[in-house]
Amino acid sequence: MIGKRLSLWVLGLIVLAAGVIGVSRPRPAAAQGEAPTRVIVGRVLDRQNQPVEGVRVTALTGGNSEVIAETLTQPDGSFVLVMSPLIMDSLRLEFERAHFETAGLALVEEDLERLRAQGTVTLPSLTLVRRIGPAFWIATLLFIAMLGLIASGQLHNTLAALVGMAVVYGVSYLGEPLWEELYIFDFARSLQFVDWNVIFLIMGMMIVIAVVERTGIFQWLAFRSYKLSGGRMWLLLTILMIVTGVASAFLDNVTTMLLMTPITIQIAIALNINPLALLMPEVFASNVVGISTLVGTPTNILIGSFGGITFNDFLINLTPGVVLAMVGLVLYSLYVYRKEYRSAGEMSPLLLEKLEERGRITQPDHLRKAGWVGLGMIVLFVFGENIHLLPSVTAMMGATALMVWIRPDIEEMIEAVDWTTLVFFISLFIVVGAVQEVGLISVIAEWIGRLVGDNLPLAMLIIIWLGAVLSTVVANIPFTAAMLPVIGFLTATIPGAESKVLFYCLSVGSAMGGNGSLIGASANLVTAGIAERAGYPITYVYFLKKGFPALLITVGLATVWLFVRF
Amino acid sequence: MSGIVCAIRGGPDSQPTIAKAVSLAQERDLPVYFLYVVDLNFLVQTSSARLHTISKEMDQMGEFILLTAQAKAEARGVTAHGVVRHGQVRDQIVALCREVEAGYVVLGRPKGQNQERNVFTHDHLDAFAQSISRETGAQVVFAGGAE
Repeated sequence: MIGKRLSLWVLGLIVLAAGVIGVSRPRPAAAQGEAPTRVIVGRVLDRQNQPVEGVRVTALTGGNSEVIAETLTQPDGSFVLVMSPLIMDSLRLEFERAHFETAGLALVEEDLERLRAQGTVTLPSLTLVRRIGPAFWIATLLFIAMLGLIASGQLHNTLAALVGMAVVYGVSYLGEPLWEELYIFDFARSLQFVDWNVIFLIMGMMIVIAVVERTGIFQWLAFRSYKLSGGRMWLLLTILMIVTGVASAFLDNVTTMLLMTPITIQIAIALNINPLALLMPEVFASNVVGISTLVGTPTNILIGSFGGITFNDFLINLTPGVVLAMVGLVLYSLYVYRKEYRSAGEMSPLLLEKLEERGRITQPDHLRKAGWVGLGMIVLFVFGENIHLLPSVTAMMGATALMVWIRPDIEEMIEAVDWTTLVFFISLFIVVGAVQEVGLISVIAEWIGRLVGDNLPLAMLIIIWLGAVLSTVVANIPFTAAMLPVIGFLTATIPGAESKVLFYCLSVGSAMGGNGSLIGASANLVTAGIAERAGYPITYVYFLKKGFPALLITVGLATVWLFVRF
Repeated sequence: MSGIVCAIRGGPDSQPTIAKAVSLAQERDLPVYFLYVVDLNFLVQTSSARLHTISKEMDQMGEFILLTAQAKAEARGVTAHGVVRHGQVRDQIVALCREVEAGYVVLGRPKGQNQERNVFTHDHLDAFAQSISRETGAQVVFAGGAE
């Protein structure tokens, strides 16, 4: 009951928030109809040449005491200041915005003459300088504390992000009346940082997954893998890794491993080998192959939405690298677990019979319908970009079509949506938005920009390997969310980066880096949880010993591919 | 008293426990009830929405693990049953002991457990064994010699 209420509450919040965004979206300054005369137009940028929205532009005259016009800059940083028909002796513009130093600009006589003649004055772009104040430090510390809480497991990920979000609002609304330097942003502004394309895409995919996971397809695939291998361990391993990888490319990695792990453990027990010899390569494959599509990992969904990278772009630019990494991964697994594979025995008829019983499709009708809808969704993901169809729209249409077709218990389906994850994403976007608003992301972008200069290969190496190493200790979703604006800046400033190669580097680093440690990816943790409950614990050190070389191999091979491709 | 309850998880650490339960069953001519308790606490942090599906998978995995234990017992002429339950390990052991009127409970000492959260740690073993005996009247036997 509580779960249903929570689901409805969250759904209502999402709709309300989307509405607020729609209502608060800035309108063009110039009214439609009659073209304004006596106008001053210009654009305000930050030091990374990124547009600054919401700058209050004020025109002052009479010794800078009388305000005669004012406006706000638009999302592209532009402003149009409509002047009153006064005869001005002098005119000064002031540019004011929270978290930036206030700037001023006096108009020269020539510009004044043009205004008097009812003309338009076009100013050169103005650069605002960031102000590092108390709000900057508070938001930065909050972000670090949130990452720490998530990494240490002291708080649930979602609760940690919610606490971060609540403190940001608390500081902004309760702190500002006491000291205006504490202001970070208001509610309407904060919602502009929430990427609703990501939220709805994840929601739609969750519903589709909830239908697919109940059909028994994973168990069937795992058992068929065993049958197909004919007891040859190298072939069984390869097929299981491919099955897990391909499933992870279309479903989320956690669900894939949740469903593959129990049946894999049963196959391994029946073959009398240590299940970790199959589970570890499977989870490696899941983390690696997930990045070949837009919907394979949450980090790709974030990257795709922010960077405007389509389903096809991921397929074309990353899949060959992923295939290369998989070849390396299979060879590595065969070498590392060679003793276990050699010790594999014949399966007893009793256990084989039991496995065959498990490896059946339990809902063939639902699977068939989910297959058709899934196919339709892939077609729309691939070709939808031609008609500007957002992936989130495709996912929601697919989920709805599937539910209408198979008529499941709607309450059950709504409950199958992981609202906790969606709330995590919304809260995370707002906390990352806070550090973006106060300028932390700009500072990082500027620092990396100075470090790499115009050197694209160096930038690629830093993004891939920094992402990979950090992903072994920091949750890769908040890391990716925070890095996106940085990558956006580097893409705009480094020659050659306009191919969006740095976004692919971030995808490779953050996802494949998850193989480096037990806490590097959620799929690792659920695999370890199930394995422990079958009597085969995966310790942090064990994972590190097997996983870190896998990280080096896969990230290395993917790096080679990205250098060849770009 | 009509049976022996043996709680296992599977894996190498459970083998001495299974062997102990089987040899005890041979000595006393009693059936063994192998118990596997499904515990999904690890999913709370990562994927609570998937509990429904994974719960069924864990049941089947538990049945499979028990099947291997049953096969070992039956190979030595011992009647063995497999029981999969959900909930707290301690509560489920007590409940099964009462249901089958168990005379003995065989427990192992799995390695690498969380010292604070698992009942099968050295600190908790004695208190746990005493509470089982008190509540069910069964004698607790530890695999590896300790009783």
